[in-house]
Amino acid sequence: MHKTYKITLKGQVQGVGFRPFVFSLALKHGLFGEVYNNAVGVIVHLNASSKQLHDFINELLLNPPISSIIKSHQIEVIEFKVFLNFNIITSKKDTQLNIPLTPDFATCAACKTDLLNAENRRIHYPFTTCVNCGPRYAITTKFPFEREHTSLSNFSMCSNCQSEYENPKNRRFHSQTNSCPDCGVQLTLVDTSGNPYESSQQQLLQKVSDLLNRGHIVAIKNTNGYVLCCDANHEKAIKSLRHKKKRPTKPFALLYPDLKCIKSQFNVTEQEENALTSSVAPIVILPIQNEINNLKTELVAPNLKHLGVMLPSSALLCLLMDTYKKPIIATSGNTHGSAIHFANDEAARELKSIADYFLHHNLDIQFPQDDSVLKFSSEQQIIIRRSRGLAPNYLDIEIKDAEPILAMGAHLKSTFAYVPNHYIYVSQYFGNLDNYEVLTRFQSTITKYIDLFDCIPKTLLIDAHPQYQSSLIGKELSEKWNTKLTQIQHHKAHFASVLGEHDLFEADEAVLGVIWDGTGLGDDSNIWGGEFFSYHNHQMNRLTHFDYFDWIAGDKMAEEPRLSLLSLTSELHKQSIQHKFSDTEWTIYNKLLQNNTLKTSSVGRLFDAMASLLNLIDLSTYEGEAAMLLEQCALDYKEKNYIDFLECNSYNKVPSKTIIQQAFNALQNGTTKERIAASFIHTMAAAIICIVNKNQIKAIACSGGVFQNAFLLSRLKALTKNTSLMLKFNRKLSPNDENISFGQLMYYTHIKV
Amino acid sequence: LGHGSGGVLTNKLLDSGVFKILSNPLLDERHDGALINLEGKTAFSTDSFLVSPIFFPGGNIGELAVNGTVNDLAMCGAIPKYLSLSFIIEEGLTMTEFWEILLSIKCACEKAGVTVVTGDTKVVEKGKGDKIFINTSGIGSIHPKANISSKRIKIGDKIIISGNIASHGMAIMSVREGLQFESEILSDTTNLNHTISALLDTFGDGIHLLTDPTRGGIATVFKEIAQHNGVGIDIFQSELPIDNQVSNACELLGLDPIYVANEGLFISFVDESIADDFLKTLRNDDNGTQANIIGTVVETHPKQVIMESVIGGKRVVNMLPGEQLPRIC
Ligand SMILES: [Fe+3]
Ligand SMILES: [Mg+2]
Ligand SMILES: [Zn+2]
Ligand SMILES: [Zn+2]
Repeated sequence: MHKTYKITLKGQVQGVGFRPFVFSLALKHGLFGEVYNNAVGVIVHLNASSKQLHDFINELLLNPPISSIIKSHQIEVIEFKVFLNFNIITSKKDTQLNIPLTPDFATCAACKTDLLNAENRRIHYPFTTCVNCGPRYAITTKFPFEREHTSLSNFSMCSNCQSEYENPKNRRFHSQTNSCPDCGVQLTLVDTSGNPYESSQQQLLQKVSDLLNRGHIVAIKNTNGYVLCCDANHEKAIKSLRHKKKRPTKPFALLYPDLKCIKSQFNVTEQEENALTSSVAPIVILPIQNEINNLKTELVAPNLKHLGVMLPSSALLCLLMDTYKKPIIATSGNTHGSAIHFANDEAARELKSIADYFLHHNLDIQFPQDDSVLKFSSEQQIIIRRSRGLAPNYLDIEIKDAEPILAMGAHLKSTFAYVPNHYIYVSQYFGNLDNYEVLTRFQSTITKYIDLFDCIPKTLLIDAHPQYQSSLIGKELSEKWNTKLTQIQHHKAHFASVLGEHDLFEADEAVLGVIWDGTGLGDDSNIWGGEFFSYHNHQMNRLTHFDYFDWIAGDKMAEEPRLSLLSLTSELHKQSIQHKFSDTEWTIYNKLLQNNTLKTSSVGRLFDAMASLLNLIDLSTYEGEAAMLLEQCALDYKEKNYIDFLECNSYNKVPSKTIIQQAFNALQNGTTKERIAASFIHTMAAAIICIVNKNQIKAIACSGGVFQNAFLLSRLKALTKNTSLMLKFNRKLSPNDENISFGQLMYYTHIKV
Repeated sequence: LGHGSGGVLTNKLLDSGVFKILSNPLLDERHDGALINLEGKTAFSTDSFLVSPIFFPGGNIGELAVNGTVNDLAMCGAIPKYLSLSFIIEEGLTMTEFWEILLSIKCACEKAGVTVVTGDTKVVEKGKGDKIFINTSGIGSIHPKANISSKRIKIGDKIIISGNIASHGMAIMSVREGLQFESEILSDTTNLNHTISALLDTFGDGIHLLTDPTRGGIATVFKEIAQHNGVGIDIFQSELPIDNQVSNACELLGLDPIYVANEGLFISFVDESIADDFLKTLRNDDNGTQANIIGTVVETHPKQVIMESVIGGKRVVNMLPGEQLPRIC
């Protein structure tokens, strides 16, 4: 008996070739009906017997399109309809949007082949895409995902493209981003005055390649925003880029032509390889094992023993790198501290002080994103920056019946989290909200989301720090929309983020939250950052913390590791650090310490102090520098003979100053700085084990920027191995303040206050 | 002061001293209030002064109290004339301290050309005050050419600062915290009424708004103006005049000078067309040698204050509610 079935598929099912896939499948099964996108996902109407339906569904779920993620499927019988064939029909938006926003996908293997195949009509076409790859989120203007809802609506398909689009056998059947050299996106190469370089499209990339080779800086408009590029072995070019970008030492990322080239210079683990070649195409931070030839590593990443590398994320970069054949520096196209540029005229204006040439194109970018950055600590993936390819969906949790919520996140590594429907959207990373352009981007992206989903939040969540820009805007918005406004303490939000990621809110037993970062305003008005919480049964309590020490000199303390060292050094050892200060500084800072009232438990500052103590760094030039140098120093210690600077039984609050004092003693006894660095991090890991045991807890959940430290993670894993302790970290979100928005959301929806 | 003697007696004693030192025909009437003749549009302003320490490098609370109200009147475009003066004194303040304050009040009044015409003195128990609080109110008639109002601010207006920022706040802080910088930082408290009056003579209603950025620093003033008037303000960090020593001290302490309190400083919003002449004239005045054009009123980003920073990038400037708390992770 044939019935008409309605199948509803939810998840990441739009912009991933789902409808053409269903079409071919129906054809294969000889079934009639129709398929369309709507506001909740993909809908299939099918005339079938129950056996036919069963077979069809099984195959669909077993082998869905590679870029799709099916979160749920639902089958119902509807009123019988007569179908005479199977059709793809245009999208219907009948209700409020309730679907994920599809992220951008790096160029797939099949498209890469097309690009370089002399027989293919797309040879050297820099905007080659198919149902499996290409920009999505970056070019979305509306949803459901249809061509007219993307920036490609400005381009109409030529007859060749159109016939591919209509041909069920073609990889570009119903590919919304379909275009070709005859009908598609055009490149222009100009100098800083806007004078174009006249040549065929094909020769432009050769020309860019020549320019790079000669040491020029070229701003290239990728599909997610501009990147500033120069040769990675050209001393003058790199120095000039550093000078013009006002970025003296912060490491640059490298773009490689292919995996083989990366492998010839680095030992790449399987996980690293998978990440590099994934559809995210992130920057992966790889350790430098051997000296690398033809690469000015000391200029690309001064003082560091690792490099951030990536593979081309778009056809444009694939073609460029295929021509160039050597690694290039590819760094976000922005001026100091600003947001990544994405509009041609604005980029031309703002970046002309940096770039010598611009490679523009005429595809508008709607949601600019930086490249994502991640690294691995043995098995563990650590996300450093979650952006292109990863943003904005957080698909692991489906929210049921929550009121619309907007969580405003933190300040320096800003993101927001939004719940307009059953899904959670965690925005891409924006950056420091003190910067006007970053703030504007943050605000306009919020506005775009509100428009896209046509949903004004009923509740706004902000950090308890009144001076975070995100808190200030949150207050403004809540007044404007007349919504509820709730403050959530920074470290509690961090903890909630990792509880949420691992679905631990309903856990039977208590969880220890180990939240270590640089700064966050605490409930007692001190600056927290070395916190231990317990979570059980929707209650969160602060169990203990690192012993308070003085926070002096405002934000400057975070920029000068020597100040943390001074604050943590006992009278006994003070003399030995005086040389790090001028006489005036020495008297002033000591005086400040005498009268100071602001206290901190910041583990970030404790790491800073240790880095300064070991003379790795006294004044930072970029955020996280001290922690990176300390991690590196610890990784250089090849033995396993760690010293534990603390005795577990002797403390309730972790004695911050004792750790520093013990390290001083070790240094004076002639212990190497590598061993001290490793021992320090070992001590920190051991402190966690101490606290968890004292409180008879079995599960540990860690979050906060300090947990970007791979050595700390590996020590913790070693210490919990062969125990019954369970260890959890952020995995899909970064441990740093990027997770605050999601954490605020999790806290608000799960914690009873 | 006041220790061991009754409050009433003390008040009387103080009163007689005050009257002696500040003696003038109106005050000498010793009536319950002063009888004064006023003509035309009049400005009226009041302020209370609490500062710790009461003596600081470059001044004391007494002249601060006079200059504060004199300058508030001047910012309205008024020519300050009469002041009221009230003290709340905590038991324990020494006579010498009090006379010194009183003398500098007298001196500041003479300099500004104002007369104290009425006042009051109260002594409170130890612990109920902080040595001495002073309240002054003032009256002055509006300069005939003045037309000053935040409503008159318009897109394109130039923003001119009369001198170095942050000196007063850093002077106070260095004494309060006992911080020894390479050389002493002096407060720049002074009366601005003569300077303003001369500028009004020349530029009249080309001057749209005058304001003195005291507590909360220039940042707070700009944000208030931008928010209140729905305009955008662009500030150029490189153009901000600041004494080297003060700048170093701020840098050392991790303080942003745009949030540090000022005295003896004023900001003018003037018509674009007169900006250069205004600056030239101001620089010839003793109170304006370091004056500079530091910003513009703009149409983009209404209600926002953006500072073009020296290292590049545009920084969002906000009001500072209370202390600067660290935000960097
Ligand atoms: Fe944090
Ligand atoms: Mg006042
Ligand atoms: Zn493809
Ligand atoms: Zn075409």
